[in-house]
Amino acid sequence: MISVVLDVVGAVLLLIGLILMTIGVWGVLRQPDTYLQLHAQGLAIGPGVMAVLASSVATENATIITFAVLAIAFVALTAPVSGHAIARAAHRRAARRR
Amino acid sequence: MIWVTLLLVAGGLALVRARDVFQRVVALDLLAVVVVALLALWSYYRDVPYYFDAAVAMALLSFVATVAAARYLGSGGPFG
Repeated sequence: MISVVLDVVGAVLLLIGLILMTIGVWGVLRQPDTYLQLHAQGLAIGPGVMAVLASSVATENATIITFAVLAIAFVALTAPVSGHAIARAAHRRAARRR
Repeated sequence: MIWVTLLLVAGGLALVRARDVFQRVVALDLLAVVVVALLALWSYYRDVPYYFDAAVAMALLSFVATVAAARYLGSGGPFG
């Protein structure tokens, strides 16, 4: 019973993550500006990879789930910081050019 | 997994199509995250947890590399 529930949850999370990552890569490919690319990357790729990592509940392997939780915490902590760093560097460069 | 590999190719295309250095940094960050997802899926598929070591190390390295590149470029980089 619980195994079937976990399978369904994992499949749904995997689907959501793949759709989000596809949207994010498409956005980075299509947007012309650095800030717009950062928007696509920060808002679509981060949650997408977190959903893909969260779909590890379907494997029912304690080691894999522990590492997935660790990786989710790490991505959730570092993705906004790196996006902010890139945006601030681009802004400073543009301000110096002007 | 095949789909994530296709996303990796698309990220490489974004890297090639980038017009300035910030877009290249964004594309490299994107590629690192896609590689993390690919390693995670490979770990589920093989049911081997050791691929996650590589995934966590990849996330850490990409974070440090991105922040270092951004700080360097923000304070007057080599190509400006």
